[in-house]
Amino acid sequence: MQNLRSLLPILVFTALYAALSLSVTNSYYQLVMTLVPVWAVFGLSWNLLSGYTGLISFGHAAFFGIGAYTTALGQIYFDLSPWMLIPIAAMLGGIAGFLIGFPTFRLSGHYFALAMLAYPLAILYVFEWLGFQEVTLPIKRDNPIAYMQFSDPRLYTLLALAMMLGTILLTRVIEKSRFGMALLAIKQNEAAAEAAGINTLAWKLRAITLSGAIAGAIGGFYAVVLLVVTPQSVFGMLVSAQALTVAMFGGVGTVWGPVIGSVILIPLAETLNAEAGSRFPGIQGVIFGLAIISVILVAPEGLFWKLRDFLRKRVTSPAAATPSAPVQPAAAIASRSRPERPKGAGEVVLEVRNLSRSFGGLKAVQNVSFKLRRNEILGIIGPNGAGKTTLFNLLNGFLRPGTGEILLDGRDMSGRKPHELCEAGIGRTFQIMRPFLRMSISDNVVVGAYVRARTDAEAKQLATEAITRVGLSDIADRIAGELTTKELRLMELARALAGQPRILLLDETLAGLGHDEANEVVTVIQRLARDGMTIAIIEHTMQAMVRLVDSFLVLDHGAVIVEGEPEAVTRDSRVIEAYLGKRWMAHAPN
Amino acid sequence: MSQQNNKTSKTSLTRRTVLSGAAAMGLSTIARAQAPAEVKVGLIVPLSGIYTRPGQVMRMGAEMGIEHINAQGGIKSLGGAKLKLVVIDCGDTTEKAKNAAQRMVAQETDLVAATGSYLSSFTLAVTEVTERAELPMLTLSYSDLLTERGFKYIFQTAAPASRQSELGLPELMKLAEKASGKRPKTVAMLMDNTATSVATAKALKEKIFAQEGLQLILEEVWTPPLSDATPLIQKVRSARPDLLLFMPNAVSDAKLGLEKINEFGLGQGKIPTVSFSITIAEPDMLQSVSPEVVQGIMTIVANWGSKGHEDLIAELKAKYKEPWMTQNVISTYGDMWLMKLALEKAGKADRRAVAEAFRTMDGGPSKHYPGGQLKFDEKGRRVGAGVVVVQWQSGVPVTVYPPDLAQAAPFWPKKSS
Repeated sequence: MQNLRSLLPILVFTALYAALSLSVTNSYYQLVMTLVPVWAVFGLSWNLLSGYTGLISFGHAAFFGIGAYTTALGQIYFDLSPWMLIPIAAMLGGIAGFLIGFPTFRLSGHYFALAMLAYPLAILYVFEWLGFQEVTLPIKRDNPIAYMQFSDPRLYTLLALAMMLGTILLTRVIEKSRFGMALLAIKQNEAAAEAAGINTLAWKLRAITLSGAIAGAIGGFYAVVLLVVTPQSVFGMLVSAQALTVAMFGGVGTVWGPVIGSVILIPLAETLNAEAGSRFPGIQGVIFGLAIISVILVAPEGLFWKLRDFLRKRVTSPAAATPSAPVQPAAAIASRSRPERPKGAGEVVLEVRNLSRSFGGLKAVQNVSFKLRRNEILGIIGPNGAGKTTLFNLLNGFLRPGTGEILLDGRDMSGRKPHELCEAGIGRTFQIMRPFLRMSISDNVVVGAYVRARTDAEAKQLATEAITRVGLSDIADRIAGELTTKELRLMELARALAGQPRILLLDETLAGLGHDEANEVVTVIQRLARDGMTIAIIEHTMQAMVRLVDSFLVLDHGAVIVEGEPEAVTRDSRVIEAYLGKRWMAHAPN
Repeated sequence: MSQQNNKTSKTSLTRRTVLSGAAAMGLSTIARAQAPAEVKVGLIVPLSGIYTRPGQVMRMGAEMGIEHINAQGGIKSLGGAKLKLVVIDCGDTTEKAKNAAQRMVAQETDLVAATGSYLSSFTLAVTEVTERAELPMLTLSYSDLLTERGFKYIFQTAAPASRQSELGLPELMKLAEKASGKRPKTVAMLMDNTATSVATAKALKEKIFAQEGLQLILEEVWTPPLSDATPLIQKVRSARPDLLLFMPNAVSDAKLGLEKINEFGLGQGKIPTVSFSITIAEPDMLQSVSPEVVQGIMTIVANWGSKGHEDLIAELKAKYKEPWMTQNVISTYGDMWLMKLALEKAGKADRRAVAEAFRTMDGGPSKHYPGGQLKFDEKGRRVGAGVVVVQWQSGVPVTVYPPDLAQAAPFWPKKSS
């Protein structure tokens, strides 16, 4: 029901567009009406990869061009119909996506974007070399319909519209499923996504394959509309740019973006060509460019988000004025002392033996060994640069150990990928928070649940439980962008919990919190421990730490200097010298 | 420039006033009842983007043609109806060209014929639209593919690319033999990979080299734009061919190549250099290279301002400050006259009737295209279309072949070593 309602605007838009296109009689406007959904679909295919994962592709023309040439060459050399060739184009586009994605996903950020730029340009030369500088789709006077050659151009519009609707629906399904969540998580923080149990490479490959298939299909259709295929017209820079332009103008990461961009920009460009271009040839490009620049300046994320933020503000401003309810009803005042739990009795769940890792000459972690017992809270302390976060990165698979072993329930897990370790039961949070700002708390947390859940419903269930455990139930629908630092910390904790880990690695979870806020978070952590969670925590706030942990591991220059119970460790002279400082003694809690 | 324009528009105004005065005197009152006062013809050329310059030049030819036709009484079989030029910018991409063509047929519904497109890729896209709209389209583009699609509404005035080399190269060989006493035996070919060059090269390699006893000793292909011609020319220097075919399609590529040829001491005839497009003879060339660099270089083209066009060339110089008349001007100028001929024959301002007139016309020898007749075969190719050989002589590319059109005698650059 909810789903149907969210689809309503799309269906209404499509119906209106179809009605409008049927009423147009001028064949030029009919052509423009056809090109709008064509470029919208191409923008959507780009959006599926780049909009959701944040990996900008400058090379979508590669898939588009492969599709266009499939239709053209298939008809010329094998006398196949576009009805059959467009699905083949989709298949080839998908294969190209996979083949291109596999090596290219080793790169990220700007490097990925630049590498993608190379593919269509390289393929362009291949097609020129093959002698396909100019290819035309033969006119079929006998059986035009079988070859998708309609005498009424409005049929092309309807066909393009159908492809657009199909792509939108597909994108919506993906957006709502774990596929979409995985892509969004990758966009926000690929490392965090991997740590949350998402096999990022696999999802990215799925995304680029699907994206390539859609681009291939629409490229194949475009050849039917354009009738002439040249390498420049389907593999050229301008084609790749077109996908970026419509998507970024309309809004990245939403199905509406490319549609809005295309509905505005394509007719605008055509009108400029027709009106301004006939009087001052060349001026159309200048106006078009200026229009895009000004919109990007005003709405850097695209028109859709600007509009949505504007509307949301107007709708919610009265509600937002009411003070937010006390967030932590479940949290009792942090207990002054460590809750009594049996010590040293639990079985060992994680054992680290002689773990080392160097970066060049720097020995970041040297020969670290310790045991983590079930239901224990281990505090890891040490001065900045002592190797604490590096140790966590080794434990959850971001880094491969140089030497040493990480035994989880007795099995050696060293060198495994983060998502595998997450699956095995190691969850973690980060020193620097990477929330998915535009998503609600529930959606943020659901991302972490997929590692455990088989269905979307199960994931929802796990997420709800995790949110309850950290006490954020009341504001679960709030957008992450509106939360306080404490709420964000708790949300990150919930995301890690949603994957039902057995061991939690918390990296400076109290950083940036005030005294009272820190107490609330400490309470939550204590509650988790009481419920059977095993926790390793990095923290600088010693006051909170001594109340929280069962034992300390003190690192300096990558090596363990002391290990033991809080009372003993805080009185150890080496620890005081290396980390706590002389003043600690004066203020030390008794 | 603007003064010049004002002046010309004033003269044409007076001319028009006189003519309409004549019409008002009752000469064509009866005809006017059936025939329109003006007949629209289209010119669809690139006026924005990187191909603007050729588009502008084609527009000059069209405007001159229209002006001359109207000044000489318009379309007589339509009661002296005037031709009116509708100019449409086809932009710089295939998609823009296709959209512009669609706009042309949808919004200028009373066009009876059109010409233009320049780049053959654009012409391909444009004619896909005009064919379906049954609008006859003349073109100076010479890709073979244009008239191999079984289309009924395209008329190609130039010899197709494959035919141009077939016609031109044997003449060059004869010229070489006459001037230097021996036939060239070896040839090197440097070409870009645009559609026209590829088509020309194919014809050369498959047929003409063997026929002329030429041995291809070096073949290099580049993708425009050429960033550095040094490696290409180095290879030419070590290969030492008797003849160099240099086939750029961008002025910048032509300039780079020729400068490098000169720098390596191969210029000015040490290795006779021949091209196959008008690029190397464009007025723009002189903006970047000196006349000495291009002296003696020859190119085989589909059309050029030649003997018999002296008045036109003078008018073009005076009016538009163009130093000489390229294929783009003279062909488009001739297209206007060809449209007039078809309109006279059709006797009505109807695109299908005009197309039929093109198909069936037999207008005798052509004044504005080299060789052949004003007659089209079933593919839409002009019957007997020939080529022109143009040679740079003292800073001007002049027609040197065929003899009846030659403005100057050709000279074969003397090989010094």
